[in-house]
Amino acid sequence: MNHMKHLIPINRKAARIVAAAAPPAGDVVALQQGSGPPQQPEGPHIPLGCSLAFQPGWEADRNGGTAGLCQPVERDLFDCHLGCYWPAHVPDQLNHAPDWTSKCAAAQKDWRKIDLIFP
Amino acid sequence: MRLLPLMSAVRRLLTGAALTLAVTAPALAGAQPAADAADSGIPIADEAVRQACGSCHRADDQGRLSRISFRRTTPEGWQQTIRRMVMLNEVAITPEVAREVVRYLANNLGLAPEEAIPAAFEAERRTDDQPYEDADVHQTCTTCHSMGRIMSQRRTAEEWRLVTAMHQGYYPFTDFQAFRRSGESDEPQPVDYAVTHLTERFPLDSPEWSAWSATMRPPRIAGTWALTGHAPGLGAVHGQVTIAALPGADDEFTTQTRYVYARTGRQVERTGRAVVYTGFQWRGRSFEGAAEATAADPDGLREVMFVDRDWQAMRGRWFTGGYDEIGLDVALSRVGAAPLVTGVYPAAVQVGQTASLQLHGGNLATAVAGDLDLGPGLEVLRLSSASPDLVTAEIRVGADAAVGRRDLYLGQAALADALTVYDTVSRIAVTPDAGMARVGGVRVPKQFQQFEARAFHDGPDGEAETADDLDLGLVDVTWTVEEYATTFGDDDRRYVGAIDGQGRFTPAEDGPNVERSGNRNNVGDVWVVGTYAGSEGPLRARAHLLVTVPNYLRWDPTAVERP
Repeated sequence: MNHMKHLIPINRKAARIVAAAAPPAGDVVALQQGSGPPQQPEGPHIPLGCSLAFQPGWEADRNGGTAGLCQPVERDLFDCHLGCYWPAHVPDQLNHAPDWTSKCAAAQKDWRKIDLIFP
Repeated sequence: MRLLPLMSAVRRLLTGAALTLAVTAPALAGAQPAADAADSGIPIADEAVRQACGSCHRADDQGRLSRISFRRTTPEGWQQTIRRMVMLNEVAITPEVAREVVRYLANNLGLAPEEAIPAAFEAERRTDDQPYEDADVHQTCTTCHSMGRIMSQRRTAEEWRLVTAMHQGYYPFTDFQAFRRSGESDEPQPVDYAVTHLTERFPLDSPEWSAWSATMRPPRIAGTWALTGHAPGLGAVHGQVTIAALPGADDEFTTQTRYVYARTGRQVERTGRAVVYTGFQWRGRSFEGAAEATAADPDGLREVMFVDRDWQAMRGRWFTGGYDEIGLDVALSRVGAAPLVTGVYPAAVQVGQTASLQLHGGNLATAVAGDLDLGPGLEVLRLSSASPDLVTAEIRVGADAAVGRRDLYLGQAALADALTVYDTVSRIAVTPDAGMARVGGVRVPKQFQQFEARAFHDGPDGEAETADDLDLGLVDVTWTVEEYATTFGDDDRRYVGAIDGQGRFTPAEDGPNVERSGNRNNVGDVWVVGTYAGSEGPLRARAHLLVTVPNYLRWDPTAVERP
């Protein structure tokens, strides 16, 4: 962006473009894949043990963080439910909870009606 | 959705999958033992089990029930199966009968101690890293669930095959997600490789089980036990558990427990009840200040412990929480006729200082100062008090005492590495170094994450994180949450939640947050930073914390302890 140093943004949209192109203060982990020394020697990882947090994708994205998750989770929930996609995390429509969404037409609005299921 | 291109294709398949399942479930239950299992299989003699399970699981001429006789597992494993039969196969069974079935199966088709201990983390609900010997099998199975579920099972080859078929029937996506790879390859599919590995690694017949099932009996563990434990963030606990046999049952017990948090002096009394399965698997629940749930302690602490073969010790974890994430590691030592020292507080003393040392254990009332030997450089000035389970000693650490650990002797009682002598705090560390919390509090429980800061001396080599480092125990630090930048304009720190003065992180509420870009949940990545006021300036250490989305299923069985 050096060639832009003589240009001054005059409206908010232009200011946001300049801000977005500016190098961030400090380290940005997600931008460090494959170039330069990593911020953490061993990289972040998800604690395993007996928790259900195993497949990076539900709890964490492939970099071990939350930036790449489908968000908000409620937006995606019914798709997971219908497709049995995260069978250990989301009740599946096929067998465990066929009526899970009956009180809740759109999870993003009606998420307070979602039940926790004890299989 | 992470595999969007697959979704529509798979959804088209689902109707077909449902039809397949309708055939699969009864067919699996009635599957006859295959040739390789002809000489295996454990006959089921108990009439209640045969009544409860026999309408689907057919008996053969040797008294073996299909499927059931060809598998061994923990009480939790059997309970999970019964729950699945109730939920998905419409089994009608009362809680009382279900408990008897779990008890019979866990005792007669259970695990030997050598088999159960490596998988203890599953029943103890631990969330620290648990590596597994085969990375490919680990990957296949832990795409959805813990490897502990598998490590606590033993099956015939046919049974391992059938349990993967059960997964494919109930969760048709498993083929896409884990069981089969896309593209051409001469290598076996992941699911086939896993079945081969598990058949060899976790077979139904084992010398461990043959030996254990021959000698197994209900343990005679009534009596007084010294308790030591560690509650993350809160530090050492010391106390006593009195175990009494429940009249009329040889494997059920009641408990009276009292303990004190050494750092704060907070005292706790609990009343509990437990069943011991398979001669060594303690499953209990206790409540603070009462024998039952109260408003102050609605859930109690679940107790999962493993009794040593000599009936002199047991160890495990007591826990609670929406994700079983709050708890303490415990070890019980039987108090016999001889003096017993199980723990010391403080466990680290500084050179040139005097200290008041608490020695916890049993049969200590008659101890005198001359009995106490703390090793070179440590002088016992006097014993200021002595009761059966606690001795307080005033000690002086010489100015030239060597830095290092000391064994402790009190008369005939000994405790290795009881006390550490140090001169300065070299560094601190925050554990766990990677934590996880889940938003909650509105529709689903919060998952808390407890951190703690420990001080270390770098040891004689002066280098951090080498084998000679000395752990000096918990220290008080100032806790802060800092941004862990993963993207431009990262604002996670403002939303994810807060950490208290004891290092417990409380995540924010679940649900979309209209204040955040894209209505994101209150999820994010942050650093949790502890700052210790060292004598030569502040010492800092940090840990990564992932604050993430809830689980909408809660799998773990909660009734094997028979509340």
